[in-house]
Amino acid sequence: MPEMTPAELRARLATALPAALVEAEPLAITPPPAHGPQPGLFNPPDPLVRPDYLVSAALWVRDTLGYAYLSDIAVVDYLYAGCFELVYRFYHPTGGSSVVLRVRVPRDEPVVPSLTPHWPAANFHEREAFDLFGVEFTGHPFLRRIYMWDEFEGFPMRKDFPRQGDKYLGGESEG
Amino acid sequence: MTASPFEIEIPRGRVIEVQRDDTRVRWGGGLLRGMAVVWKHWKESFKLNRSYSQIHGTFTIEYPEEQPRIPEAYRNMPILLYDDETGHELCTSCFQCERICPPQVIHMTQAKDPATGKPVPAVAEFIIEYDACMSCGFCAEVCPFDAIKMDHEFELSTDDHTRLTVHKEQLLRPISYYAKIAPTMWAEVRESALKKLQGNVRRRPDVIGLAPQLTEKIAARRAELAAQAVQAAQAAAAAPAAPAAAPAEGRKLTPEEKAAKLAAIRAAKTAQAGESATPAEAAPAPPSPAPAGEAAPSADKAAKLAAIRAANAAKKAAAGEAPATLPVAPADGMAGDTPADAPPAAPPADKAARLAAIRAANAAKKQQSGDGS
Amino acid sequence: MLQTQELQVNIGPQHPSTHGVFRMLVTVDGETVVDLKPVFGYLHRNHEQIAEANSYLQNMPYTDRLDYFNSMANNHAYAMAVERLAGIEVPERAEYIRVLMVELTRILNHASAVGFMINDMGAWQTPLAFGMREREKILDLFEMASGARLMCNYFRFGGVVRDLPPEFIPNLRELLRALPAYIDELERLLRDNEILLQRAIGIGILPPEVALSYGVSGPVLRGSGIPYDVRKAEPYSVYDRFDFDVPIGKVGDVYDRFLVRIEEMRQSKRIIEQVLEQLPDAKGGHINPKARQNVRPPVGDAYARIESPKGELGFYLVSDGSTKPYRYKVRAPSFINLTPLADMCRGYKVADIVVILGSIDIVMGEVDR
Repeated sequence: MPEMTPAELRARLATALPAALVEAEPLAITPPPAHGPQPGLFNPPDPLVRPDYLVSAALWVRDTLGYAYLSDIAVVDYLYAGCFELVYRFYHPTGGSSVVLRVRVPRDEPVVPSLTPHWPAANFHEREAFDLFGVEFTGHPFLRRIYMWDEFEGFPMRKDFPRQGDKYLGGESEG
Repeated sequence: MTASPFEIEIPRGRVIEVQRDDTRVRWGGGLLRGMAVVWKHWKESFKLNRSYSQIHGTFTIEYPEEQPRIPEAYRNMPILLYDDETGHELCTSCFQCERICPPQVIHMTQAKDPATGKPVPAVAEFIIEYDACMSCGFCAEVCPFDAIKMDHEFELSTDDHTRLTVHKEQLLRPISYYAKIAPTMWAEVRESALKKLQGNVRRRPDVIGLAPQLTEKIAARRAELAAQAVQAAQAAAAAPAAPAAAPAEGRKLTPEEKAAKLAAIRAAKTAQAGESATPAEAAPAPPSPAPAGEAAPSADKAAKLAAIRAANAAKKAAAGEAPATLPVAPADGMAGDTPADAPPAAPPADKAARLAAIRAANAAKKQQSGDGS
Repeated sequence: MLQTQELQVNIGPQHPSTHGVFRMLVTVDGETVVDLKPVFGYLHRNHEQIAEANSYLQNMPYTDRLDYFNSMANNHAYAMAVERLAGIEVPERAEYIRVLMVELTRILNHASAVGFMINDMGAWQTPLAFGMREREKILDLFEMASGARLMCNYFRFGGVVRDLPPEFIPNLRELLRALPAYIDELERLLRDNEILLQRAIGIGILPPEVALSYGVSGPVLRGSGIPYDVRKAEPYSVYDRFDFDVPIGKVGDVYDRFLVRIEEMRQSKRIIEQVLEQLPDAKGGHINPKARQNVRPPVGDAYARIESPKGELGFYLVSDGSTKPYRYKVRAPSFINLTPLADMCRGYKVADIVVILGSIDIVMGEVDR
């Protein structure tokens, strides 16, 4: 059961693909309150990867490190920080804990290279991320909405999507 | 197929490869084996089997005729509890359930004291939308006063959708009902729940937080107490006056007593104002509650109910007499009603109840005849 | 040689063998499947966004509705994720109760999954009734403990909502006496059935490398011969205290998945027996008395996964320090297990599609979320 801490992963990634790594800045999830206790900044220890290098980093994790089981791709919309974070989670088939790669893309231009042509496990995860968050995966063979119907406008999991009422339901916050 | 490319070791266990036989044609052997299983089940299906350790036999139940055995923890829809004795609702409108409810189907408004307009720990209106309730049971879990509990009733189907928006009157159940469906779960919380209720009742004016089902009963009980108080007031008025009321002030008064005192004072006032022979007539009235009072402490609710009803009738009869000089006939009718009313209220084989009712009726009758003569 | 033309056929969304509202856009050449595109979302309710509007505890009953066969397993994964996020300890006894419930869930899920798969093959109702029978008894046990048969809502942060009622363990012991006979009987009923063999052997083959590259998990992955079981690979709860085996298939076809499920039921029974041995000595109560239910975790994220009966069920939570999750993501096993459906069906006949789909064992409540 191989175990790899985020620091080790970052060190190995730095030697194997030095251009891929980005220095992660801690981000504030919500605007800091004017008074009261501060919630603190979100600063995960996992290596943050440059979007262009995502595919090579992921394939390096799979082929060199042997973490051949892509378990999850989660998108988080950090509205206040103005970015989407994609959390790629890999496991080793012999067991052990995960290794995580993170990618941050700006909210106004969320484009990430697709992993699907190289690693089909990413297929539905990426389609889901596209459907609910509007993250564009370049190179995906069939990037279509997966839950919502094709004509649907907007991306319902984004934090600025109107919670009450939309053009389908009506309500005050039209459009 | 080649062997798995991943040689994986597994702690505390082995990797076992399933035993499989790829011959597709087994000349009906597999089919016959399966048929044997089905046949055995068919044969055994005429036997009833209620044991978990047997796999054969019928273990279904004939539902509408036979009710399923429901475990105590079963939760279906939330209900509100009220105290059987006093009719006080346990709910204090603390809004905990409304806040936790995941589908947000609980709505309530806090009651206000009609005299002062200040909020009191009681609920004015309580609505649960049963149609959207997901039966998660959080409301019952978070309730600090054990006022909201999960019901076992599951036959809720209706052709009227609006009836699934359930108001307080339909939600209220007596504590005894919940203690019957979930005895151990109620026993665990009983003491603290009742203690908290006592604490809250003290902060409520006596007109609020009462189960509407019980208003009649409560009114009757109050009237009874009022009659007792009238007697006391009369005695006080007849004898050296005031001091008789004074010892009653010393201790804390229950709402019933408060109401009774109020009524007594009012009654005393009218008694003083009215010139007719009220004292003489009011005096014989109290004896009728007295036997009822004896039956009450036995914690026999039905008995109490019957007694109260009888006392009520007696009192009404007395009151009827007071202003005018009505003949015996209506009073007789009323006294005659009482024993006829009492049996349905009393559960079968409840002798004490019937006894009390009869005794009360007798007292009323005696009084009537006394008046008539 | 006859000139043939490819034809597009919709299977579903309203189809008795699609396990809910699920549509497959199939391109066929005669009877042979050339391509298949799964189309779903008919049951989509944006579970994740509902969850982000609720407090942490309020989400517990919503997780029941993900995979409504295995509400206990969903509860477990979610409770673990929140406990990791907020740093809540779980007492030993509560862990044993959790394992007990999830293993019972596994038995009932596999029993009914086998029943449904056979149902999809056209054996209308009889094998399904066999699959559902013991499930009923297990649901009775769930009802005793949690108050509900399906939407159990039994787990809380730091334990379970209430301790096992006194009648639970005797009833469970009785059930355990019946289980071996029951599993043997289910196997005898179906294992050698010639019709099932014709429909299952060599159908929907998913080779191990392909299975892994598609990220499938659970009995589908193990049926393909990769012994990956989260309970072994990354032991959580108290699973490292039990002896049990991981069954794997040889070929990776429908038949292997069926056999793996039958065998996993036996292993689950083994685990339950060990739980019953160790439960009386377990320390602590059914819930950590210090655990608060209205949690307010510090800023950070957590991922917790369990081996749900359908595969790896994971919850990814991000907290912004408030009482509501900032991000709540479900890694649903039956959703990801659908990824290789097109590859599994390609080259087989149209009638095989429903069998292959049945062998993946999906629940639309979880696929669509």
